[in-house]
Amino acid sequence: MVDQDKKIEDKIMVEIKSGRLKLRSKYIFLAEKLGLGSAFVLSLILAVLFFNLVLFYLKASDGLGYLSFGSRGWLAFLESFPYLLVTSLVILIVIAGLIIRKTGMAYKRPFGYWAMGLVVFVLLAGTVLAFTNIAERIEARAYGRHPAGFLMRPFLERGFAGRHRGLAGRVIKVTEDYLGVQTPEQVERISLKHLEMPLREPVEDGMFVMAVGEQKDGIFEAKMIRVVEEGEMPMVGRGVHRRFGPLPLPPPRHF
Amino acid sequence: MINTDSLTDEQLISLVREKDQELYGIIIRRYQTRLAHYLRKFIPDADALEDVLQEVFIKTYRNLYGFNVNKKFSPWIYRIAHNEALNHLKKQAKVAVSLDEKEWQIIDERKDVKEEVDASFTKKLVEKGLASLKEKYREPLILYFFEQKTYEEISDILRIPRSTVGTLILRGKSMLKQSLK
Repeated sequence: MVDQDKKIEDKIMVEIKSGRLKLRSKYIFLAEKLGLGSAFVLSLILAVLFFNLVLFYLKASDGLGYLSFGSRGWLAFLESFPYLLVTSLVILIVIAGLIIRKTGMAYKRPFGYWAMGLVVFVLLAGTVLAFTNIAERIEARAYGRHPAGFLMRPFLERGFAGRHRGLAGRVIKVTEDYLGVQTPEQVERISLKHLEMPLREPVEDGMFVMAVGEQKDGIFEAKMIRVVEEGEMPMVGRGVHRRFGPLPLPPPRHF
Repeated sequence: MINTDSLTDEQLISLVREKDQELYGIIIRRYQTRLAHYLRKFIPDADALEDVLQEVFIKTYRNLYGFNVNKKFSPWIYRIAHNEALNHLKKQAKVAVSLDEKEWQIIDERKDVKEEVDASFTKKLVEKGLASLKEKYREPLILYFFEQKTYEEISDILRIPRSTVGTLILRGKSMLKQSLK
């Protein structure tokens, strides 16, 4: 056994002395540490930002408003849900968790403890961030000319996309059976023939409405509709203004 | 001339990294018997054991800058040995655990096992019982009973929480007892 031990020591020392066996540079380890640390911080910051965007999206888009129609509104709500944002958020938290595992710094406590800590941190920090206007600024940049802001567009565009089961926008034309409505994407025609309940208040040009129903042959057959304040869904309002501009003023009256 | 005998492993590593790489021979001398003893639980074949042990020392040397000298060196090198043993086991379909006479004394010195493992059980039965345990139970048992490692050190080697080490050892002992019945 002693001979065998000596053999291993000799073999390795010969390799070291000949220079064939070298120490890996300390800068490789430093770069590895910095890389993992940066990736962890970045994924955490992005997770907080994305959670903040989810909150902003739910508050500012039309999605939650459809739930006010009861069971009929569920499909429209699900259609408008920010899946890409939520999926990205989950992926970012998983990445942060994997980095914690990979670095091996966190093994002294069970992984569930760290996972819980990560989730709580993201939820708290994202909620605190909701008191700032950072999400509005991201939306403005995403739809402005800022090249970096353009990257955020796919995450928010579901808030402006056309829907099959729900519709929200600004009224520009009112007839007995139809409404002409500007959505952030286009002008839609809403049929009022299949309404299950009549409108509670008269609709006028410039008002914002929200409806649930179904798209059929290019016409949205509304089952339920209600007038909403623009402030209830500011994201849709901003989308409409961006697409169509302000409503033209009525022609001046001549006395 | 440095008196290397009085130096701790961590001090030696600092010297190897910054001044004299030939001092690595002392690290090899300090650890080869202990690591060979540990690896033998997973690798009964002498030739394979020698190859794995050599690989452990090579990897340790290459990655010396990855070691934090403010921590203990022993769990770090055991961790490398553990990983190498696992890599070797992946290549092997079946593993046998062998115990020598001295290890039987160690088992007797460690409190509960003597009570739990009835005196009539033979060495072969325990070998078989250990080999039949899942990896996650077997390793803490070996490190605790045969390598005389503390819970803290086992936690550092296996990268699991200290409380989990305790649980795994407890369950491992109980499973070993069951398999010996």
